[in-house]
Amino acid sequence: MALLLEIKNATISYGTREIVKDFNLTMEEGQICSIVGESGSGKTTVIRAALGLLARGGKVTKGEILFNGQSLLNKTADEWRELRGTEISMIFQDSGAMMNPTRKIGSSYVEYIQTHDKGISKKDAWDKAVRMLERMRLPSGDNIMRSYPFQLSGGMRQRVGIAMGMTYEPKLLLADEPTSALDVTTQAQIIRQFMELRDDFGTSIIIVTHNLGVAAYMADYLIVMKNGIIEDEGTREQILKVSENPYTKMLLEAVPSLGGVRYV
Amino acid sequence: MFDEKDMILEAKHVTRRFPAAGNRTLLACNDVNLKMYKGKTLGLVGESGCGKSTFMRFLVALDKPSEGEIFYRGKDITKLKGEELRQNRQNIQMVFQDPSGSFNPKMKIRDIICEPLLNFNKIKPSEKDATARKFLKMVDLPEDFSDRYPHNMSGGQRQRVAIARAIALEPEIIVMDEATSALDVSVQKTIIELIVNLQKEKNISIGFICHDLGLIQSFAHQIAVMYLGNIVEVMPGDQIEKYAKHPYTKALLGAIFDLNMDFSKKIESIESEAPSPLDVPPGCPFQDRCDHCSDRCRKEHPKLVDLEEGHQVACHMFA
Repeated sequence: MALLLEIKNATISYGTREIVKDFNLTMEEGQICSIVGESGSGKTTVIRAALGLLARGGKVTKGEILFNGQSLLNKTADEWRELRGTEISMIFQDSGAMMNPTRKIGSSYVEYIQTHDKGISKKDAWDKAVRMLERMRLPSGDNIMRSYPFQLSGGMRQRVGIAMGMTYEPKLLLADEPTSALDVTTQAQIIRQFMELRDDFGTSIIIVTHNLGVAAYMADYLIVMKNGIIEDEGTREQILKVSENPYTKMLLEAVPSLGGVRYV
Repeated sequence: MFDEKDMILEAKHVTRRFPAAGNRTLLACNDVNLKMYKGKTLGLVGESGCGKSTFMRFLVALDKPSEGEIFYRGKDITKLKGEELRQNRQNIQMVFQDPSGSFNPKMKIRDIICEPLLNFNKIKPSEKDATARKFLKMVDLPEDFSDRYPHNMSGGQRQRVAIARAIALEPEIIVMDEATSALDVSVQKTIIELIVNLQKEKNISIGFICHDLGLIQSFAHQIAVMYLGNIVEVMPGDQIEKYAKHPYTKALLGAIFDLNMDFSKKIESIESEAPSPLDVPPGCPFQDRCDHCSDRCRKEHPKLVDLEEGHQVACHMFA
């Protein structure tokens, strides 16, 4: 297996405050990694750094982030544009919010395809988009393309986001709480779809989530973060069964489980 | 399992229609019948848009049903007006999902907790500080938080203040609308423990809206599952895996990511999404997503029938 992403001793700061300290992560092709932790533990900051999307003032001050052996830290805006959306894609918590609310999905989607593939005609781009939407189990892709984001349900919007992100079959997919705004039934559908992405395209996925059940179900490798540092890490077995780390244990115990603790 | 004389609230045939564009109507609640018992928790579970919040809002008189009655201690609270309605609000209080949205950002915690008490002349303004401290202690917060503003606190701490405000008037019923879904799991656990302790101490009835069956089964005495405005199953709160009969309840259970699950198995879930409440199909509301759908389901609306004590299902398979 080839090494895809390497984060070595990365420290990420906003201004002078170090938000994430000495973060290490190695990912191979086709691997799924979950980053879990409470709000404010820095999990989103890590994956935003990997896509060069840190909010204003954020910077990787120490360490190195390598993608396919190349450093991601000193990329120019043009170089990033080459990479984002084709090699690395990101799915946000609410994909509706990343789309322009005054434009129909088709218009945004076609623009996205044409940005990365200058030679493609509008019609071909449209067809490609429709094919992609239908592949993500959105019935009548044509209809979706003619809708505004607000006309779709949360689950459908998330599928559109995944379809867009997967258009160029990126090697690495970053997902930031992709299901936390969804109902349990829709969540299960979307998670299953994520798993199929790896089977179909061989995509590596980093999923940031606070839902330990989802994290454990998806991941080959889990990272538990607390206050900006890696508190615990390991395979699913190690984290769920073996780990002696008190913080990991506390988190696991707090997850409500069917047939588990009853307080009454 | 519940004593009928402990019943303090009963909703009978509650229906709510909202007018929608194009002369259509949105059916948010359809013939809902539920009972709440003294000191017990009723969990209301369902997907977004199924009408669970709409129903609970009737209890706190934030909205009125189009049809049906809600009896609290023998009195129909949907018909109350004026001073009588105001007085009744003491008995039923609410905790919202987003505590920062339900607080006035310019009020100190002390004023937030004491406002209901002052409104009903239960305390004098001079007793405010002592009272606020007492309630903060009750919800396990440091007493000097009474001088803070809501924005100086974390989400979990704010939710504790919201609970303190809700119990200040010593209500018999507290409605909690997804009170923990904005919180981290570790914080959620402590809030649930607090709620359960307060319930035991003060014998409060709780109506808890939730979309997580795993969470609700850890502390509810009875669980009602709602789908497209209809109650499809009512069951005892423990061992729901054993009780669950309705295909929708089973689908909800199958979609839970549990730490003890078999990770090699594919997660089960119903495909497709819930139909819009603007055009509810005739017959069973769940027909289009159900594996066991028959002709009868397409024509006839299933009624809730008793399976055993405290367990009712609305499905033709069991009628």
